[in-house]
Amino acid sequence: MSSPFELMPRQYSPFWLRALCLISGIAIGLALATVLLMFNGVDFKGIVREFVLYSFVSSRGLAQTISTGTPLLLVGLASAIVLKLRFWNIGIDGQAWLGAIAASGIAIYEVGDPSFRLLIMACAAIIAGAVWVGIPVFFKMRLGVNEVISTLMLTYVAFLAAQHLLYGDWRDPSTSWPVSVTFDENSERLQRIGFGHVHDGVWIALGSALFVSYLMLGHRFGLFLSAIGLSPKGSKASGLPVPVVVILTVLIGGGLCGLAGFVIVAGQEYRLTQYVIHDLTFSAILIAFLARFNPIAVVPVSFLVAGMFTAGETLKAFYQLPLSLILVVQAVILGSVISVEFFSAYRVRINGFGLSNRQIDEEQSQQL
Amino acid sequence: MGNELLRRRGNWRDARLIRMPQRNHSAALSLKNVSKTFDQQKALINADFSVDWGELHALLGENGAGKSTLMNVVCGLYTADDGQVRIDGRQSFISDPQHAGVLGVGMVHQHFKLIESFTVAENLLLSCGDRVGISSLSEISKRAKEVAESIEFSIDVESRISSLSVAERQRIEITKLMLLGADILILDEPTAVLTDQEASNVLGLLRRLASRGKAVVLITHRLNEVIEFADRVTVMRSGETVIDGVPLKGLTESDLAIAMVGEGRVPVESVLDRAQSRTTKIPRLKLQEVSIKMPGRKQGSANFSFEVAAGEVLGIAGVGGNGQTELTQALIGLIDIESGSITVDQDDLSNASITKRRQHGLRLIPADRAGYALIPDLQNFENLALTKIATSNFGGRWWLSRRVMRQNAKEMFRTSNITGGTINSKTRLLSGGNAQKLLLARELDTAASVLIAHSPTRGLDIRAYAAVHEVIRRSVANGAACLLISEDLDEVLTLSSRVGVMSREAFHGPFHPSDLSRSRIGELMAGHV
Amino acid sequence: MEFIVYWLSATPSYAAPLLLAALGLIINERSGVLNLGAEGMMACGALAGALVSLAYSSPLLGIVAAAMAGASLAVVFGGLTVVLRCDQVVSGLILVALGAGITGLLGRNIVGQTLPGFREVDLGVISDLPVVGPLIFSQNTLTYFSFLFAAVAWWWMYRSVGGLRLRAVGESPSTADANGINVITTRFLAVVVGGGFCGLAGGYLALASSFVWVEGMIAGRGWIAIGLVIFARWNPRHAILGALLFGAVEALIPRVQATGVDVPIYLMMMLPYLTTLGVLVVASKLDEKRSREPASLGMPYARQDRH
Repeated sequence: MSSPFELMPRQYSPFWLRALCLISGIAIGLALATVLLMFNGVDFKGIVREFVLYSFVSSRGLAQTISTGTPLLLVGLASAIVLKLRFWNIGIDGQAWLGAIAASGIAIYEVGDPSFRLLIMACAAIIAGAVWVGIPVFFKMRLGVNEVISTLMLTYVAFLAAQHLLYGDWRDPSTSWPVSVTFDENSERLQRIGFGHVHDGVWIALGSALFVSYLMLGHRFGLFLSAIGLSPKGSKASGLPVPVVVILTVLIGGGLCGLAGFVIVAGQEYRLTQYVIHDLTFSAILIAFLARFNPIAVVPVSFLVAGMFTAGETLKAFYQLPLSLILVVQAVILGSVISVEFFSAYRVRINGFGLSNRQIDEEQSQQL
Repeated sequence: MGNELLRRRGNWRDARLIRMPQRNHSAALSLKNVSKTFDQQKALINADFSVDWGELHALLGENGAGKSTLMNVVCGLYTADDGQVRIDGRQSFISDPQHAGVLGVGMVHQHFKLIESFTVAENLLLSCGDRVGISSLSEISKRAKEVAESIEFSIDVESRISSLSVAERQRIEITKLMLLGADILILDEPTAVLTDQEASNVLGLLRRLASRGKAVVLITHRLNEVIEFADRVTVMRSGETVIDGVPLKGLTESDLAIAMVGEGRVPVESVLDRAQSRTTKIPRLKLQEVSIKMPGRKQGSANFSFEVAAGEVLGIAGVGGNGQTELTQALIGLIDIESGSITVDQDDLSNASITKRRQHGLRLIPADRAGYALIPDLQNFENLALTKIATSNFGGRWWLSRRVMRQNAKEMFRTSNITGGTINSKTRLLSGGNAQKLLLARELDTAASVLIAHSPTRGLDIRAYAAVHEVIRRSVANGAACLLISEDLDEVLTLSSRVGVMSREAFHGPFHPSDLSRSRIGELMAGHV
Repeated sequence: MEFIVYWLSATPSYAAPLLLAALGLIINERSGVLNLGAEGMMACGALAGALVSLAYSSPLLGIVAAAMAGASLAVVFGGLTVVLRCDQVVSGLILVALGAGITGLLGRNIVGQTLPGFREVDLGVISDLPVVGPLIFSQNTLTYFSFLFAAVAWWWMYRSVGGLRLRAVGESPSTADANGINVITTRFLAVVVGGGFCGLAGGYLALASSFVWVEGMIAGRGWIAIGLVIFARWNPRHAILGALLFGAVEALIPRVQATGVDVPIYLMMMLPYLTTLGVLVVASKLDEKRSREPASLGMPYARQDRH
């Protein structure tokens, strides 16, 4: 029986179609999210007020958006470069934890000269994040172990490691809470720049964005990455150094995630706590997809997503809605975006309803 | 009416397993004026074909002649744009393979539709269970055994497909058709992957089926089989029927070979001319006892020994799928050779990396352009520069100058006359001819010493065809050596100064021009050594 | 010795939810759809089970609701991956986020409340037998059903025509299509049924394991189930063994704690995750030549041979 629809994968999808799909996907997602919010008791004016005005226009809100966006920018970059290769690093939270742990360790044990300590913390965080993603990469390249599971399992391990340290050796003796000692004001903290809670981490993040943009757009590395992501076989046949590029990319991604961990503990919390890292992974993936893996686009997108979180905080304060709502909103937006992509990937043709060919054949029996 | 019921539901409990099909008309299958175009490619042009009940009819032609396409129309995989299909005299519009099956048509394709990890019984239950009203493994096993025995062979229903040889799998496919009640059987190149003994067996089986009243169509390019087993033959060439259902009495293999390859526009003598004018004899590419693993039927390896000199084109003719791709991949470094040596300009590159071979001037134009020569979603100027970027040719170490890349691309676009796209548009959008020009422009730079061109003009229109040949000629005139592998015999004869043939995953030649005749090449290509 | 008995008799109840989730994933993936959203479906199942069983004081209704919740979320997943042919990995991640988000949103009112659930059965004399008693005859009803389901699933998959068709779709959708099987419908159904099982697993955790609902209670067990499926080579029979293995590891943690031995608790809690990782590495090493996964896993299907 022939089906009424016929699906033909498109050989090529023109730019305008893809742009249209992205925009309409976001629009649909936002519309659904609005409905969801209204369902939960937020009036439409309230939505505009919280999401748009407060997060981006008001001074306090903007400051919060920027400081929330700082680590998001870093993980967004990490995600963008790695997803382009179709290496599914969903252990972003875990690598950030390792970065946070490493940086905290340096601070707690007062390693190195105080004037360099911040720098050492940052470096330790980068290396720790890279190592934590290096393990899954190693297993993938050597044994073909699925990186989805390995990165994720290591995330749980990293989280538990932090708990272990916080309830154990690293617990601040002066309190009964599982938190570490506070970092030294002068040598172990990223200083505020004077705009709300925004701290020097934002320069680190923007600097990283600059570096990654250079790597992807100015250096041949970026072209290799694009080529390998599109066709590993073709790239190999053209003589490109495929394994080197893949490993380097993933490690840089891990390092950026570790840096995100550093930025959070040294810039916002000033100590290691139990829930210092949370919900970075899905946000990072959302950012990467919305920015179409372009590092320059990642910058505004990550701050827009950060704005969502700021709005979420306000919703919590005024409407008693939990932060999980924001997670739903993010999922709905990403879901809408990839759903609408269907139309740019396939051409749909509707075959006529009515008599199928077989019926025609059976009705018209002609003898020669 | 009773016939209809039998065809529709297969009342196996009442009918004999192999029943004489009720004939209303002597022609079981008849195709008239069938045409089919794919995306501007004319695959079938007013093709005719007919096969009678009780006949084994051979459908002959080279690759791309249209024989598989024509049969795919009959079995419901394609819909014809034009023409008439009659089954047993009744006009039929076959919509899908299920429908074809109900009408009594069954086809065994070159790539078997069997699931590797399932057993024979499971596969049969899957494909036939519904139509014959059986839903248990034991019952389908019983029926299958009965069917097989009635046509004198045995099958093991418990074994997994993955453990069966190709010949055994083929028998399963035939059993499937029998269970489904097919009266018109079409087999696409059944003996291509079989040993001589196995081929003999299956052809004998087909003869038996024909003698019991079935209409059997044998798609092949093996001339000796046609002569020995078939009743009539139809020859197709370039989508048209050139010989329509002629009895085989009195025909020789040479007759068939000539019909398949045509009178030809290019006489073999031109090869002789070119060979004589070849002045330099310094070999640039040399293969000595190179053994390359072949994945096909023999599960063995093929051996190659030949040289190509500067300024020379060595053409390898032959139907595709006989190891040509493996040869090109081994030469370029994508797969390893088992033994022997590959030398370019006195340098042994047998184990060298892809990059190293490239640096020594080895260049490949693969048959599958989009697969691994060009990356379709990159922009044209990027594809043009791709192979040189790693050796820091555009800009410096730290900065990739897209400006220089674009300049370089503009130049190449001009000299190669690439149209249908800008340097910034995606390569995917280029027509076949222009994409090929792009690829050639990239590969045939000044450092190219050995060019391996595999089906370089496949799918191209006349102008692109000429343009590609011009580029190859120019490159060769500048001192490069060219190994040309093509299914298009005219192309091989147009460009080459010596000719070899690949068939059945073995290499024959290279032949001295005076040993060549067009029909001899045709025979070699068709597998008759 | 007693330690071992206590440990092993606790194992089945840790194994059961993993087994149920794994069964769901196996059905799903055998049709060729890669489903990473187990965690999300389990979360929804847990919440639905909790809400309904509280509302109607009936764990039975609760578990049914759990299955339905999982299946409903799976409908969304099916729409994304099977109908719209979106990338299956991303869709799975979306499912996880949706599940976590929705449950966090809807569950905040019942956090911490004790739920009516499935307790261990007491078969009188049989349950009091030494060793065998606690081990085999004192599990809760759901656990018995889980293992029963697994056996039925194994039989159905390998001995029935329906299972044959499912596996055909997963191994070679084009061949299945050529044989008249509707690939899209089969896959969609497999996704929904699989989702039901995952929901069931979540319901188990709420109604037979902890008897309480808290945010994040699935704690990665959905992911462990995914690893388990790979380890079990997509075969329900092996999944039983695998689930028991993982369950044993999980069961070890509270047992060791109970003995009072001073073992770092958080390090112990890493065991299930490290075991999953280790098991995958070993499995990959053993299967280096050939992967046993359904051949079309992860690839969307669009009939391409019709011109």
